[in-house]
Parts: sequence; C-alpha cells; structure tokens
Amino acid sequence: MATVQLESVSKSYGNGPLAVDSVDLSIADGEFMVLLGPSGCGKSTTLRMIAGIESITSGQLSIDGRVVNNVPARDRDIAMVFQSYALYPHMTVADNLAFGLRRRSVPKPEIARRVREVSDLLGLAPYLARKPSALSGGQRQRVALGRAMVREPQVFLFDEPLSNLDAALRVNTRNELIRQHHRLGSTMIYVTHDQVEAMTMGNRVCVMNAGRVVQIGSPLEVYWNPADTFVARFLGSPPMNLLELPASTATSGTGDWCRASNENATVPLTLWHPATLAPYAGKQMIIGVRAEDLRLGPPAETTSTGRLGWLHGRIDAIEPLGAETLVLVSANGTEVTARLGRDVSARVGEAVTLSFDAAAVHLFDPVTTKAIARER
Amino acid sequence: MVSRALGRGGLMAILVAYTAFAGFPFLWVGTMSLRTTTEIAYNHYGWPSPAHWAKFRAAWIDSAFNTYFTNSATVVIGSVAVITLVGAAAAHCLARYRFRGNRLVYFILFSSIILPPQIVLIAVYQTLVEYNLYDTLWGLGLVYVSLQLPLTIYLLEGFFARIPQDLFDAAKVDGYGDFEIFFRLVLPVGMPAIATTVILNFILLWNEFLFAVVLISDDELRTLPVGIQRFMGDHFQDIGMIATGVMISVLPVIVVYAFFSEKLIQGMTAGAVK
Amino acid sequence: MPGQVASGPSAWRRLFQPGTGGDTSGASWLVLLLFLGPALLVFGAMIAYPMARTIYDSFFTIDDPDKPVWIGLANYVTLAGDETFRRAVLNTLIWSVAAPVLDVGVGLLLALCLFAKVPFTRFLRIAWFTPVLLSYVVVAIVWLWLYNYDWGIVNVMFRAVGLGGLASAWLGNPHLALGSLIFIDVWKWAGFNMVVCLAAIHSLPSEVLEAAELDNCGWGGKLRFVIVPLLRPTLLNLYILAFVAKMKVFDLVWIMTQGGPLWSTETVSTYVYKRAFAWNTFDLGYPATIASVWFGVVIVTVLLLNRLLRSRERVEF
Repeated sequence: MATVQLESVSKSYGNGPLAVDSVDLSIADGEFMVLLGPSGCGKSTTLRMIAGIESITSGQLSIDGRVVNNVPARDRDIAMVFQSYALYPHMTVADNLAFGLRRRSVPKPEIARRVREVSDLLGLAPYLARKPSALSGGQRQRVALGRAMVREPQVFLFDEPLSNLDAALRVNTRNELIRQHHRLGSTMIYVTHDQVEAMTMGNRVCVMNAGRVVQIGSPLEVYWNPADTFVARFLGSPPMNLLELPASTATSGTGDWCRASNENATVPLTLWHPATLAPYAGKQMIIGVRAEDLRLGPPAETTSTGRLGWLHGRIDAIEPLGAETLVLVSANGTEVTARLGRDVSARVGEAVTLSFDAAAVHLFDPVTTKAIARER
Repeated sequence: MVSRALGRGGLMAILVAYTAFAGFPFLWVGTMSLRTTTEIAYNHYGWPSPAHWAKFRAAWIDSAFNTYFTNSATVVIGSVAVITLVGAAAAHCLARYRFRGNRLVYFILFSSIILPPQIVLIAVYQTLVEYNLYDTLWGLGLVYVSLQLPLTIYLLEGFFARIPQDLFDAAKVDGYGDFEIFFRLVLPVGMPAIATTVILNFILLWNEFLFAVVLISDDELRTLPVGIQRFMGDHFQDIGMIATGVMISVLPVIVVYAFFSEKLIQGMTAGAVK
Repeated sequence: MPGQVASGPSAWRRLFQPGTGGDTSGASWLVLLLFLGPALLVFGAMIAYPMARTIYDSFFTIDDPDKPVWIGLANYVTLAGDETFRRAVLNTLIWSVAAPVLDVGVGLLLALCLFAKVPFTRFLRIAWFTPVLLSYVVVAIVWLWLYNYDWGIVNVMFRAVGLGGLASAWLGNPHLALGSLIFIDVWKWAGFNMVVCLAAIHSLPSEVLEAAELDNCGWGGKLRFVIVPLLRPTLLNLYILAFVAKMKVFDLVWIMTQGGPLWSTETVSTYVYKRAFAWNTFDLGYPATIASVWFGVVIVTVLLLNRLLRSRERVEF
C-alpha cells in the first residue's frame, strides 16, 4: 500500500520533443488511477517510468514518500501487467506465477501457498502445469494478473491489459479487476485509451495529450466538466458536438444575457455572466453540447426566455442501435450527432430542428480551446 | 495426357538418377569399409560378404583413429561450448542494449564473416607459436572459436532481437538483474536458435581441415580430417582401411543426421535463409 | 546475409547511433563489458590483430621468426611478376564465378523437382542434402577413387556404354583437372542450395502461383516469369554466399591435386599454404603479402558484386 507522487516528471529521447512533459500527479493510497489518452500521448511512458523500466529525464518520482528516481525496478516493490501479457514462454503457469517470488527469496512453502491462493482465486488451478502457448487469450491474461497478485506489491501497474481480448471477455475481466481492487485495496495505476474502461474502473482519471496532463478528476467530473475541447471530444461516445458560433449580447425583460447565434442556430449562454463574456463579443466561440442533451423538434417554449437553444439542419444518416438511435445532422457544414430514443420518425434528408437546454451548454475559448468555467 | 505422363516419368527418372548420384559415393565407401583391400582390388564394386566388421576395430585401435576421434571430439565440443556462451552473450548485448557504437560493433563482426580465414592463417600461426599454443588443442580450439564466433553472433542477434521487450521488462519488474535475465530468460527462450547454431558450428568444425593441418604437427594431437589425410598419404594403397577410417569420421555426423535431420538441415542453411 | 553490406550515407550514419534494442534504462558499462567483452577479446586477438599483423608482415622477409628483415614493397614487386600467383588468382576466380552459378542453378532445379509434388519429398530432401555434411577431406578421398583411371566409376561407366574414348585421367590432365574439381564442389553444395530454394519457393504467396496457373502459364513460363523473379533476392544471396565460400577453397584442392598438374588447379589458398609451410623457402613475409593482396581483392569484389547486383535489383523492382 502506498502513495505515488509525480512532480514535474519529464521524459525525452535524444534531442526530440518531450515524450512526457512535466507531469504532476498525486495518487492516493488505495486509489485506482486511470491514465487515459490517445496512443502516443505519453501515458505508457509515464507508467514505465513509475515501473522503473524507463529512466526519468527530469522531475521527481516518489513511492510511499521515498524518492525512487534512481531505484531499479526490482527494488520498487511494484508489479506490472503488460498488454502483451509478457508471460515467460518457456515456463509453466505455476513457474510464471512463482518466478517473481523466487527472486525475492520468499520461503518455498510461502510461495506454494500464495500461488495456490491466487490460482484458486482466478480459476487458474487446472492450468498450472501448462505452458502459456497452450492457453487462450483470456487465460493468459489471468496468468498475467495472477503473476502481479502473488507478489502482493505496494503498487499495481496495468498497461492496457485488456486491449488484446475480445469484447465479451473484456467486460468480464474489467469486472474481475474492479472486484480485485476492492478486495486488495491496493494502489493501482491503469493505462488505457478506452474511455469506457476509464469511466467504469477509475476512482480518478488523468487525461493526457501530447505528453501533458490535460485534466485530472473523477470520471463523471471529467465527463461533465471537460477542461478543454480535447477532453470533451475524447470522452464520450459519440464525442461531444462542437459548434463555432459568434457571441453577442441581447437585452430582454430579465436584463442582459449572452448568446451565440447565427441564422441556423441559437445557443443561450445563460450560465455565464455577461461581464465574463464581454471580451468575446463578436468572436467565434466554441460551443459544446453532448449528443444525449439534444432533442428532436423545435423548442416548446419561446427562445426569448433564454432557456432553450436550437439549431437547424438536415439529417445525413440515422443509425438505429436498438436501445437508442443516433441521428447525424449536418448543420451549416458542421456534423452534429444526437442520441435519441429508440423510435425516431424522421427520415434521411429531412430538414429538422434540434433543441437543447441552456444548462447542457459547454463553452470553450476559441484560441486556447480551454473551457470557460460556468458561473451560475 | 500422354505427354503429361511422359513428363511425369521423365521427372521420376531425374529424381532417381540424382538420388543415385548424390548417394552412391557414400554408400560405395560404406561397402568398402567392410571389405579387405584384397577383396576390393579384385572387384571394386562388390557387396561386402563376408562383412569384415573387425576392420573398424583395427582402424580404431591400430591405426590410431581412436586418438584422432578423441582429439576431434575434445576440441570441437570445447570450442562449440565456448562459442555458444560467448556468442550468445554478445548477441544478447547487441540485440537488447542501446549504447553508442552498438551498430558499429555489429557491422564489424558482421563484415568479418566474409573474410577468407587463410588471410589470418600465417599471423595466427606466428601468434600461437609465440604464446606456446602452437601444436596444442587449446590453440586450435581458440582459433576455432574465432572462426565461428562472428556468424554465431550474427545468427543469434537476429533471433534475440525478436524476443518481445515486454518479457525483459516483466523480468526486471519481477526483480531480476541483467545476468539473471540472460541466463534464465534469454538462453531458454532462445534455445531453438541456439540449437541451430550449435549444430552448424559442430558440423563445420568437425570437418575443418586448413587450420588443423597448419596448427597441429604432433600425430598424437591430430583431429580426424588431418588424421585420415595423413593415413591416406602413408597407406595410399590400403583402400579398404582408408574407407573404414572415412566411415569412422563420418559416423557421428550420420548418427546426428539420422535423429535430427530436419534440425540439422535448418542449422546448416541458417546463414542463407533469412 | 554476409553479402548485404550496408551502403549509402544513411547506412553509415546509422552505424554510429545506438542500437535498435529496447533497453533504454541505461545499463552500466560494466554489464555491457561483461556481455560483449569476451567476444571482442576473441575478435581482437584472433581476427583483428592477425589481420593487421599479416599486412605488417608483408613488408618483411621472415626467414627467422625472431629476426624479420624490413624490405619495404619488395614482396609486392615480386608478387606482381609472380606467374604462379597470377595462375592461382585466375583459377580461384574461375572457380568463384562458375561454381556458384552451377551450385545455385542445380539447387534451384532440384528444388523445383521436389516442389512438383513428387512422392518421398521428405526422403529425397534428406538424401540430397547428405553431401553437404561430409567433410572436404572425405569428399576428396572418395572422389579420388571415383575419378581413378582404371577402376573409378566415371571411367567404368564410360567404358560400359562404349564411350571408352572419353575415359580420362580426370585429375592428371591439366585441361580437365580444374573442371573435375569444380564438378565435385557442385555435387557437394547443390543439396544445400536446393533446401534454401525449396524453403523460399514454399514461402512464395500461393496466390501468385495460382494466378499464373489461371493465366495459362506453362511450367517454363511460370519458372521464367514468376518463380525466378520472385526468388531473385534468395538466389542472389545464395550466389554471393557461394562466391565468398569459393574464394576460400583449399581442402579439396590440397588433398586431391595439391594445385597440380602444372598449376592447373592452384588456388590462392593453396599457394599461400605452400609458400608458408610446404616449400622449404622458410619465409613468412611473402605468403603474408599474398594474403594481404587477396584480402583487398576479396573486399573489393564483394563490395562490387553487392553494388552491381543491388543496383540492378533497384532498377527492376
């Protein structure tokens, strides 16, 4: 059990750009932290630096309060599960499980006990005498997990451990991992590019892009309050719809309020003070609305109250998914996806109006693409 | 249809003819090894009846083939063992570690594969004389190691480089150091490739002649190829006994071939199939 | 492959960069030294040093190993006028150019025979490979007998079919000796090339052969337009490999003809050996000169061959 602390940790290869750019990350004892990002964003490199199989170019890494920058992997008391499983092909499952313990001069009866315990827990007992080549993908995955578990390490590291499994097995193993985390209560750091894994497994999610940390927060926090357009697009399937509209100020009976609009769309920006948005007047703003916040049909109330936004467009495609229907609408050249109920009466090619609540609107700075915090 | 059958027949004829061509010389020596020189002089292509198995005993003991055989076995097994260990260590180092000059070392070793060994023959002879290693099996073994080391490293590097990096990372996280990883991971996982190079080196060195003839002059230390050649020089007329000696020298190779023909062919062609 | 020497500026630059291995966590120099040291030691002591020493020796007369006498380029001048050396180089080059063509050609034809779905493929493959395993000493002894004028199978067969006039002293006739030796070499190595070609043919994409079948390509056409062009890299590799091997040829010649008759089978290797150890000239300087010159010749030819064959490859593909 341990905390893991990264203080402006960077990694560079030769003279190239930084693969990991001053990452600050603090992982609490017993926390399940997910590093999420597209491939090449530096999340795996970060994990490998924590493991000690990649050197740290600058910054400081501590595990359980001890600076371990120059401590070799074997003395960090961590275990790692690899995407390729990395099982030793010349050893049986039992030997694979025991390999790490033998090096640590754990007494033999103790090794046997732990191997038995873990293999029972993961249902590996029937395969102990087999070589990895005689196992299925799911079984190999469990051996890889077991190999980490017998070590009873301070920190577990996972490098995309589920991406080589087929869909059904992935869901099972995901649940298995969550269960093991609850049971062991150990600190776990989990690297993935799969947002579903990030949402379902993590206590917190650390979203990375281009070597930098973009946002850290609980899964729902990151989903509902993305720090910038990258996070907004990366989390959520379909990704958040982004529109570019000029901001303006309108006056009505309730006072001044801001909106972003053109002839095909009007987005009320009632969550922000007009004063905050004053510098943006006349500029193209980036507006974000999640697909599930869009409804088919014109707003029932009048827009003058500023409660509801709308946009006109033409239906490009309809994707019935059974429980829900995705409707792709092309609005003034921007593709917008709406996630609707299972019965949609509209047809492809039809002109439609989509409406949404003002509370569902996200606003991003057009230059920095960072979110402008809501104020009401 | 007729032409097809004819073509088929022609093909079969070629196959049979070539098989006879490839195999006859060896089988012929096999028959002669069991016949006395007098019998052979009477008819060179007769069947051995009766088969004189005692000739093998005679060649083994009286004609000192046991000494030659022991010398060959000692020097070949010893040098193959050293080549394998030293070569595997170097190949692992070149395949796995990043360091300045890695590719330069690789290129130099790789280039020396093409060098004809007789270029260094004279200087090797001088050097061994100076270090009192001339006319010793130690000296010959050392030369044998240097002869086969570059090719061994080249072949093993290619294989080791294909072992996934994740395995090494896993072993490191599991607590293993550089040398433990080499002995407990690289060697076992690389066994197929190592077996290939062992076979290749064994055959090539078992048959080596040039350095054996230059670096060994004591009859007690001669290896089989030189032993046979000298025996033939001394007993040019004794065809029967020469044939027996030839069979003794070929037998280990044939026995290995009988059991591991596929692996052996793979080993021999390892340098060419890539 | 030994033949594929890196070329071009980028290849040179790559040499000085760290290796492709994945271990970046900075292994200590001690570890590297322990892994690589023994090999480098053997390489330095038994390959690099002797090579340098050979070149150094070539400027001396070394009658007495303890007292080499500096003679500058005199050995090279002598060598330039050495008729025997010229003959040896010519023979070696004939051998190196001709034998690989036959080796690879016969090997390819044999491989095609086995590819044509004949029975006992496995057995034939093993049987045909056997000569590769035999040492040159054994091969030489056996073929000395096979070539025997009176009772060797070659002459016996010629006489049996009424072509007694063709029976010859295969190794005694200066016009036939070199060819006779090359024939043996092909006998020994064809099986090796057969196995490699067969493996290469089997690894050809089967769709290509099937497509050729659909295009109503006969065996000849398939061979000329599909198989040989696709096998080109393998065949080139085999050729270069054989070429390099033939430039070393010694054992066969030394045991069968010792370079005779009349230097008709003298090779560079046998000549070096004779001048160094067999003749009573007691001078190691002159053979060292031969070896040094030959070293240069080998490097230049290999580079040339590599460039020649490669550039053609680039044009065609």
